[in-house]
Amino acid sequence: MSISLLTGLITFIIGMSYTLAAVHLPEASVGRAHEPKLFPLALGALMIILSISLISQELIKKGQKEKSNYEKVVFKFDTHIKNIVLTVLNALVYSFLFAKAGYVISTFLFTGLELLLFSGTKKWKSCALIAISFSLVIYILFNKLLGVYLPMTPFIWF
Amino acid sequence: MESLSLLMHGFTVALEPMNIMWVTIGGVLGTIIGMLPGLGPATGVAVLLPLTFTMGPVAALITMGGVYYGAMFGGSRASILINTPGDGAAVAATFDGYPMTLKGKAEAALAISAIASFIGGIIATVIMVFVSMPVARFAIKFGPAEYFMLFVFALAATASMTEGNRVKGFISMTLGLMIATVGIDGQSGVKRFTLGILELQSGIDFLIVIIAVYALGEVFKSFKNIAEGKKKVQKNFGKIWISGKEWKRSVWPILRSSPLGFFIGALPGAGGTMAALMAYNNEKQMSKHPEEFGKGAIEGVAAPEAANNAASVGAMIPMLTLGIPGSGTTAVMMGALLMLGLQPGPLLFQQQSTIIWGLIASMFIGNIILAVVNIPLAGVLVRVLSVPPRILYPIVLGLSFVGAYAISYSVMDFYLLILFGIIGFIMSLVDIPATPMILAVIVGNNMEQSFRRAYKIADGDMGIFLSSSISIVLFALAIISILYPVVKSIIIKNKAGKRTAS
Repeated sequence: MSISLLTGLITFIIGMSYTLAAVHLPEASVGRAHEPKLFPLALGALMIILSISLISQELIKKGQKEKSNYEKVVFKFDTHIKNIVLTVLNALVYSFLFAKAGYVISTFLFTGLELLLFSGTKKWKSCALIAISFSLVIYILFNKLLGVYLPMTPFIWF
Repeated sequence: MESLSLLMHGFTVALEPMNIMWVTIGGVLGTIIGMLPGLGPATGVAVLLPLTFTMGPVAALITMGGVYYGAMFGGSRASILINTPGDGAAVAATFDGYPMTLKGKAEAALAISAIASFIGGIIATVIMVFVSMPVARFAIKFGPAEYFMLFVFALAATASMTEGNRVKGFISMTLGLMIATVGIDGQSGVKRFTLGILELQSGIDFLIVIIAVYALGEVFKSFKNIAEGKKKVQKNFGKIWISGKEWKRSVWPILRSSPLGFFIGALPGAGGTMAALMAYNNEKQMSKHPEEFGKGAIEGVAAPEAANNAASVGAMIPMLTLGIPGSGTTAVMMGALLMLGLQPGPLLFQQQSTIIWGLIASMFIGNIILAVVNIPLAGVLVRVLSVPPRILYPIVLGLSFVGAYAISYSVMDFYLLILFGIIGFIMSLVDIPATPMILAVIVGNNMEQSFRRAYKIADGDMGIFLSSSISIVLFALAIISILYPVVKSIIIKNKAGKRTAS
């Protein structure tokens, strides 16, 4: 299956589920009852049409050059994907800790781990240094200079 | 002239010391971000957005303007020196800029790109002074039906101008509009697509989507390229300037490309990349020695650089006068304006003329400051290019989370940020362009509201959308913008077919 064909199928599913959800939207109690559904229904229909045209485009293309240089979907679980998954997990932990541990601590952990991920564990000293300076600089910049208050860090005086 | 007196007033605002400082800071930061590979003006404005949250609207806009054209100035540095464009609009600068560096003429290339950017920016701002008022005045006649058609045209044009598969451009657009429908419906109070999550009732903030796609998505993509190694950056320069002969070759290309860039930039969806490429091709066709293009012709740097800076100014016209952003970066800026409680559109020119004209005046000042910063200091600034990405990207990640938090002080937004970062990355994997989605997320709500208002006025009669000549013209333009690329590709195919046959 080519990437575009897969994209077509996924967008078709998105279009169908969005349309179904739009049909079941509650009706408005004021004005015309169907009004809040109108625009979403049109979008759902548009998405379905687009996905079908993408799929048919791909099928026609496939028919034209069967077996020739036809791009295939290749799922490789290489380091690239692994790093993205690790970053996402790290970000989820960060989101969880952000308010609880305060900005400086959670950000130190998050950026520190990201730096390690990008640079490798050998350079942990410089990673730690960059992470701590980044989180402190941003904290001071935002809290003290810009007036954007970030979560306080327990046990730290500011 | 009314515009001129308003502009003079704008200068009194823009020349306040604080505002000069902001445009300088914005410009320098923008130049630095623009230089970094993969980080263009849209990412620059998105990442630096929280800096402006506590400023007044004038200072915020001036700073963001500085970041915007600073990034346009900076984007080409990396193109010239390491053949890695900072963003799409700087791609054309690699064609001749990098060959010039290889020939040992990096100084001239850096100088001409800054000079051309400067002249392009100034010419475009002059045009803007005279064009913006009439456009805004015309737009005031628009009712909700005309506005709806305008949105249709703008989105259709953006989606159909995507490179590669146009259907994917439209899919991206529809996805964006769908995202915009999440939350409580403003007119009826009905909860839509909130999945029972309380935080989704207020809708998905488009700034989150922007930061996610432009910052997080970029970092995800970078994991792939990071292993590819780094090119050495030239760090020692002679005098960064050009000779009289080089100036003579560049001056006409610059003067021709600036207005061209401005008008392309003002079209919805076109923008800097297309302006730069068109200017480059134009000059190549007009040149007496086209064979030099691609091998280090100085006008091949001058023309696209002038055009893309002019385009960045032109793109502000539809954003400020109509409330329709013409590019990713202006979309981000419009998001910031809405955040400040300002609704871009024709009324903004009447009600907030100080802000608008302060911004326009600051474009003149900003361009001068950037030329000063970029020519003598280019040698110092390009050292940023030697900051390794392994340090840079974690910092971009850190900044995007702070930015997301500063928007509404809610950690819930982090989860959306992560989600849309992943979606943005997947979209890039399957070649779905992000820009139409971003534009759609921003205008989606306004688009639906104008649709609903018109629908109400006409008492459910769809005929209202084609009842005035303005909306018919806009509808026709939308159809043309969808069909034109199709027809063009058929013609090209036919020609190619004939050639192979003969």
